[in-house]
Amino acid sequence: MTNDARGPQAVAELRGVHKRYGRVEALRGVDLQLHPGELVALLGPNGAGKTTAVGVLLGQRRPDTGSARLFGRDPTRPAARRSVGVTPQEVGFPDNLTVAEVVDLVRVHYPDPAATAALLGRFGLAEVAGRRAGGLSGGQQRRLAVALAFAGQPQAVVMDEPTSGLDVEARRRLWEVVRSFVADGGAVLLTTHYLEEAQALASRVVVIAGGAIIAHGSVEEIVARVGLSRVHLQAPWLPDLPAVTRVEANNGSYTLYTADPDELVRALSLQGVAFTGLQVERASLEEAFVRLTGGAA
Amino acid sequence: MRIALAHGKTQTLQHLRSPGYLLPTLALPGLFYFLFEGQDSEVGLVTHLMASYAMWAILGVAFFQFGVGIAEERTTAWERFLRILPVSAGQRLAGRVLSAAVFAAAAAAVVIVEAHLVNPVSVAADRWLPWTLALLAGGVVVALGGIAMGYWASRRAATALAMLAWLLLAYLGGLWALPAELPSWTEEVSPYLPTRLWGEVTWAAVQGRSTSLGDWLGLLAWAVGFAVLALWGYRRDEGTNYR
Repeated sequence: MTNDARGPQAVAELRGVHKRYGRVEALRGVDLQLHPGELVALLGPNGAGKTTAVGVLLGQRRPDTGSARLFGRDPTRPAARRSVGVTPQEVGFPDNLTVAEVVDLVRVHYPDPAATAALLGRFGLAEVAGRRAGGLSGGQQRRLAVALAFAGQPQAVVMDEPTSGLDVEARRRLWEVVRSFVADGGAVLLTTHYLEEAQALASRVVVIAGGAIIAHGSVEEIVARVGLSRVHLQAPWLPDLPAVTRVEANNGSYTLYTADPDELVRALSLQGVAFTGLQVERASLEEAFVRLTGGAA
Repeated sequence: MRIALAHGKTQTLQHLRSPGYLLPTLALPGLFYFLFEGQDSEVGLVTHLMASYAMWAILGVAFFQFGVGIAEERTTAWERFLRILPVSAGQRLAGRVLSAAVFAAAAAAVVIVEAHLVNPVSVAADRWLPWTLALLAGGVVVALGGIAMGYWASRRAATALAMLAWLLLAYLGGLWALPAELPSWTEEVSPYLPTRLWGEVTWAAVQGRSTSLGDWLGLLAWAVGFAVLALWGYRRDEGTNYR
């Protein structure tokens, strides 16, 4: 399966990547492309292979077969990573370095880095610049990890679950930064459990499960592909109905998930169900996601 | 080079803020020299012991900066982050070696300056360069040992292992007393230890005697052994964390 959306000038690319850890096949032929000016959300349940895919893309793991490229180069070579900023999933800083010292160390690796004070200001860390990085709160450490991804003024940013542990306010602020980065032509690969985040930010969504890409497209396409709608109604009873994926019942109040809401409503009328309070909504990405991954999320 | 220097500077800052590192490296060798050797008037003895304690100080830097440092860092999220940065393993090692060289020089200088202040030590003007080179050569050998320790010892075991190896190798290698004063049972092992071999070439350099080829070959053998262990451990660590 390929999800090459726009031609050859990808900033980051996986081609047919297989990766096995002992008996576990973490990746089973993954293709992925990231282009300038787009944000690709990599979605999948825990253990789907998201972090392994990111690791291969960043040269931290070698694929068994297939290839990874960053700006056309082998990502295991440090120079290939010079235009990429990274926020790892697991974050931790030494308690014997200050925030500013950590930022300064990271900046040294890039030819045209952002100014330390401006960078810290952008992520609301200006007032903790002199504090020991290891002593920051979890949310502050997470923000610092995100700030470090932008320290080198990168062309591409890879973020592995960047907003887990952030409060709503901090998450919104991060979204603003990411949006303006993408609007300026930056490329972002984001793995996330917050499907709201993918809906808010992503130009494309890639769904990975069991080490393979099972769906990809725009957020709308992903939802349309599964065509899932949610039908709420109250009724004294329900007959067997066509095209219903799942039924949630609660005291005469029903929520039905269906691929064809028109057909469902017609069937309800034809069978004389005395329903009230009918509401039809498009399913959220989260619900589409649950269906795509067979409920494994 | 700029990147290696930045890593060296960062390492140095981190170690300067770690009392657990500064105590064994900068404080203990000078303190032990004073407590156990005290003030003496025999020029040959106090000069010999000054050279021995300077080696012990450098050994501490090798085992604590490389051994404990690497073992404690290599499983951390911070280390994993640093590996993603556009920096090669060689640049990072260069930074670590630069920082260790600064601390090793400082640790040896503490002992040497103190010895000159409290004792009638005497090193002939033309012996300083050979002595420095001998310290440097042995320093490289024990640094490789420290790196091997760093990649093979677990995070929890590293400090205890480094402390034990540091003390035992000093005692058995004859760095705390004259080798002739060691208990007779140690003669079975002492001549083969890296600290003793290092001591032999260093004492000869300080006193203007010629060094023996056998001692140099012994040191070389340790260097090769430690280097193989270090490289093997490094590869194993990469395989565990980054395969």
